Amino acid sequence: MKFALFTGCVAKGATRELMLSTTKAAEGLGFEFVEMKSASCCGAGVVSEKSPLLADALNARSFSIAEKQGLDIVTICSTCQGTLKKTEAHLNESKEYKEKVNDILEDGGHQYNGTTRIKHFANILATEEGMARLKSRIKRPLTGLKVAAFYGCYVLRPSENSDFENPDNPTGMEDIFAALGATPVYYPSRIKCCGFPIVMMNKDASLGMSGNALVDAIDNGADVVATGCPLCHLSLDSYQPEIESLQKKNQSIPILHLPQLVALALGYTPTQLGMDSHIVSTLKINQILSNSASSSH
Amino acid sequence: MATFRIKRFNPEKQPEPYFEEFELDIPDGATLLDCMNEIKWTLDGSLSYRMSCRSAICGSCAVKANGHALLACQRQGEHLLDNDDTITLEPLGNMKPVKDLVVDFTPFWDKINKVKPYLEPKDEAPAKERHQSQEEFLIIDDASTCIMCGACYSDCNTLEVDDNFLGPAALAKAQRFVGDSRDSKTLQRVQDLSEPGGIWDCTHCAECVERCPKPAKPFDRIKEIMTVALDNGVHNNNGARHALSFTNSVKRSGNLNENRIPVESMGIFNISGLLSLIPIGLRMLLKGKVPPVIHHSIDEVDDVKRIFKELDQ
Amino acid sequence: MIEHDVVIIGAGLAGMRCALEASKELDVAVLTKVYPSRSHSGAAQGGIAASLGNSEPDSWEEHMYDTVKGGDFLNDQDAVEEYVKAAPRIIYELEHMGCVFSRTADGKIAQRSFGGHSKPRACFSADRTGHAILHALHEQLMKNEKSVKIYNEWYMHSLIVDGDRCNGVVVSNIQTGEVEVIRAKAVVFCTGGYGRVFKITSNAFASTADGVIAAFEVGIPLEDPEFVQFHPSGLFRQGILFSEAARGEGAYLLNDKGERFMENYAPSRMELAPRDIVSRAEQSEIDAGRGVNGEDCINLDLRHLGEARIMERLPQIRQLAIDFLGIDCITDPIPIQPTAHYSMGGIPVDKFCHVILDAEGTKMNGFFAAGECACVSVHGGNRLGTNSLLDAVVFGERAGKSVLEYARGKDFGNVNEGQEKAKVLEKFEDVFQRDGSESYKDIRDDMKEIMMSHCGVFRDAEKLKVCMDTLKELQVRFKKGKVTDKGKIFNTEIYEIMELGNMLRMAEVIAEAALYRQESRGGHSRTDFPKRDDKKFLHHSMVYDSPDGFVIKTKPVVITKYPVTERTY
Repeated sequence: MKFALFTGCVAKGATRELMLSTTKAAEGLGFEFVEMKSASCCGAGVVSEKSPLLADALNARSFSIAEKQGLDIVTICSTCQGTLKKTEAHLNESKEYKEKVNDILEDGGHQYNGTTRIKHFANILATEEGMARLKSRIKRPLTGLKVAAFYGCYVLRPSENSDFENPDNPTGMEDIFAALGATPVYYPSRIKCCGFPIVMMNKDASLGMSGNALVDAIDNGADVVATGCPLCHLSLDSYQPEIESLQKKNQSIPILHLPQLVALALGYTPTQLGMDSHIVSTLKINQILSNSASSSH
Repeated sequence: MATFRIKRFNPEKQPEPYFEEFELDIPDGATLLDCMNEIKWTLDGSLSYRMSCRSAICGSCAVKANGHALLACQRQGEHLLDNDDTITLEPLGNMKPVKDLVVDFTPFWDKINKVKPYLEPKDEAPAKERHQSQEEFLIIDDASTCIMCGACYSDCNTLEVDDNFLGPAALAKAQRFVGDSRDSKTLQRVQDLSEPGGIWDCTHCAECVERCPKPAKPFDRIKEIMTVALDNGVHNNNGARHALSFTNSVKRSGNLNENRIPVESMGIFNISGLLSLIPIGLRMLLKGKVPPVIHHSIDEVDDVKRIFKELDQ
Repeated sequence: MIEHDVVIIGAGLAGMRCALEASKELDVAVLTKVYPSRSHSGAAQGGIAASLGNSEPDSWEEHMYDTVKGGDFLNDQDAVEEYVKAAPRIIYELEHMGCVFSRTADGKIAQRSFGGHSKPRACFSADRTGHAILHALHEQLMKNEKSVKIYNEWYMHSLIVDGDRCNGVVVSNIQTGEVEVIRAKAVVFCTGGYGRVFKITSNAFASTADGVIAAFEVGIPLEDPEFVQFHPSGLFRQGILFSEAARGEGAYLLNDKGERFMENYAPSRMELAPRDIVSRAEQSEIDAGRGVNGEDCINLDLRHLGEARIMERLPQIRQLAIDFLGIDCITDPIPIQPTAHYSMGGIPVDKFCHVILDAEGTKMNGFFAAGECACVSVHGGNRLGTNSLLDAVVFGERAGKSVLEYARGKDFGNVNEGQEKAKVLEKFEDVFQRDGSESYKDIRDDMKEIMMSHCGVFRDAEKLKVCMDTLKELQVRFKKGKVTDKGKIFNTEIYEIMELGNMLRMAEVIAEAALYRQESRGGHSRTDFPKRDDKKFLHHSMVYDSPDGFVIKTKPVVITKYPVTERTY
């Protein structure tokens, strides 16, 4: 299975452990991820605030890069995924618009034809084929670990752009957790917003959102939260020490990237996956896993 | 036989809400509202909710079903059954319950009022109609389909944590005038809407798009206002600075320079804002979670620059 | 006691347009049992008529003639003339206020064809014209929030009259259950129609005859109540409106055999004949066993219009059929049936919206009415599509002007607050005290059923008598209804019971007048008197309440410009 990997900016910047663990997860799963080195930033729904046409043209160019390679695109960021899908929807909505965008691309030697699919890493796994592959390669089942999914808005909404079966009540991430041997934790906030997009504009509200989600996860018994979006990860992990509602409870909860969780079950060590670079300590995860491993012996 | 699990509340009888279950055979083709009426008219007359047109145009009957806001008259009851043949009904969120499924819409309407939701024409009225091209009509067409049902307001993630946010419905209504070729106050409107509580407090969760029963889709409208605000030079706020910094970074290198964006978003003269970045910056520095100091461009960045240039950005 | 110079009951197009006018000088209150934006005017889809001539040359004379012919010559032509002449100005004013209209290629207000109109004169906002105007007017009220006080979710129980003068209303706050008296120099009713008395109806749950019956109960007659319009395209079983704009854009009506049966009923206008004619044609096909799949429905076929046109002109109703029937009109025909839609009759008013008590035009001082609840009569025996939004706005504005003129410098009348309140509190107490052996739902269902089957598209003396007997029994059962909720806060049950009381009374009035009118004219069709009878019935009926039952009097029709002729299409 070969994919064009749309890394996104954050996986190569503030959350390099995501890139690291994605490489390991792909290796462990036997996927070939070809990094799209000349793809531009997806725009994160921010470039389109400045100019929707600009954002779509840039993304159409990225699609063209994958099309030339004859590969489908895999993303490891909910925001990239949703933003790219939004462009795809715009391009397919009207023929005139597609032509307009292709005119812009032409001088760069690019053209969008619509032959490449765009899938989030979670959606590659949450297929029958993906699950079978995943299950067959697990070396270290995550038995005893209670994992709460945090999807990231962009892979769910708008639902017509989502690859999850029922975006109001998705199970794709949880199905993956179960396949890894972990116990999925269902809680209302799993499909909500982490608040990251407004952390620069309205920090209290932003941290209020991440705080509510984390309290909800903890109250529902989660040991760890796993997210498909590095921006959610920044909100939930890097800002966690500043979240008042958690401080009041004197609690914290480790946050993993989905590829870290997957690679952990594939047998990689926490250090190989950059889990020591998180703001909130992930040691608790090792303890739970070794406890359950020793109790099962 | 379906179970309707309904959140009941009657402050005259007891201060706390509770769930009550009703069993009902959903008649063929019955909408959720038909089911609610059947429950009210045959099982418990004291169940309160709003309704009127039953054709998805008056906006009265929005409730939460299985945790998400929708118009009760617009959905088939059968389609809402969960795996246990149950439908859970609750009042809309982000507003105070009055009784059962009825909530107090006062804050909702107060915010609609705040966006000056009326045309402020450019000139004296002509003898006949003001002209408006098809293209100009299309800019306000979607926003004008809003029926003020409050479904978006109910499920808005920002409103859950910040009462001060104008909310999706009011902002969609604002776009209806920001985008109106006949209106004279575009600049004033986008300035007002760029204040705290306005467009830049939208957290992009798109819940409003998902809940909107009409083509109004507030988040899409909010983004349209943002573009107009940026085009009109309303840049003196973190949201606008963030968008510009972000876009400029992509223009320079094809990707994000995460070291620059927080600083540029706060504004280099915003001392308290910049100071607020220090704790997170230090934490990340200590864990080595800092993007490379020398920012690398993507391969073939010149083509990206060309696209920016071609679009005059 | 609350006091306002003017209190307007109802916040649809007529009520809000009236408020905008009256508030130029007076302290105005608008009371609505919903919220302004929830008013049923918003459900109107296809358009609002005016001879703008934006797509083809048009004139007020043509608009007038079409309206009078459409109304089967029962219209008062002096009023019709002023009404159609005012139309272009009224539309331009709405546009100036900011109302969103679909546009022609050169940027003017677009106009489409509609049943009974000889020219494309329906100005529209896609397929949500009522909604567009309702919101535009609501926006203007929000702009003027300091001069108009809106009472959202308040219910009007009764009129306060003293001899020939109206001094206020008794109301209650639905949210708190508190009963209050509002004293006013003038009261305006813009309370809409009463289609809810029929089983299949396009009307909102709120369209329950509250205003009309409140007037009737203080001795005001009801004019032409037998004229109820059945709209030809209600969605099968639900009755929800599927706009005539579909036929305006070119949709076909097909029976079970796939025949465009309108050929046999109105060959020159086909699907765009007036609504009464199309509804009768549909019902005749159904009655003859040519309903689709033998059911009580006809197919409305839009497929040949193509996806692009449907998406541009009719997107909202396309979605309606998908949501309610699971049918996409782009790929499949839509099953429809006649649905009770509009009341041509109502509270009699002169052409200045002042309520009158008799054929001589004796006024009830300080009481005005506009919109569907009023009978001017500009629609005669049958209203043309897109003429109702126009009626609401034109006469809403007029009522505003009239009330300004009337109330300026007037004093408040005498009101015995305690006594007026007590009367309404007794009404509540009466409902709470009933023995509870009957179900209000059953009573309501039985009323709707009998009105549909015996007083619907086709009527005859025998059926009407059965209908009246049934309604009498229902009145008895109504007094024994079972109430569950005795609380004060947002008790929707108690209001539904009050509304049912009004509807039962209204149903009796309709049936009484239908029995009286031994002819077929416009929306009133008697199989035992299938012809129009100008010798005996070229007049309005005026139904009065009396201790001995209903009394019917007549009021002459005003004929000015267009003599009565045969009506064929």
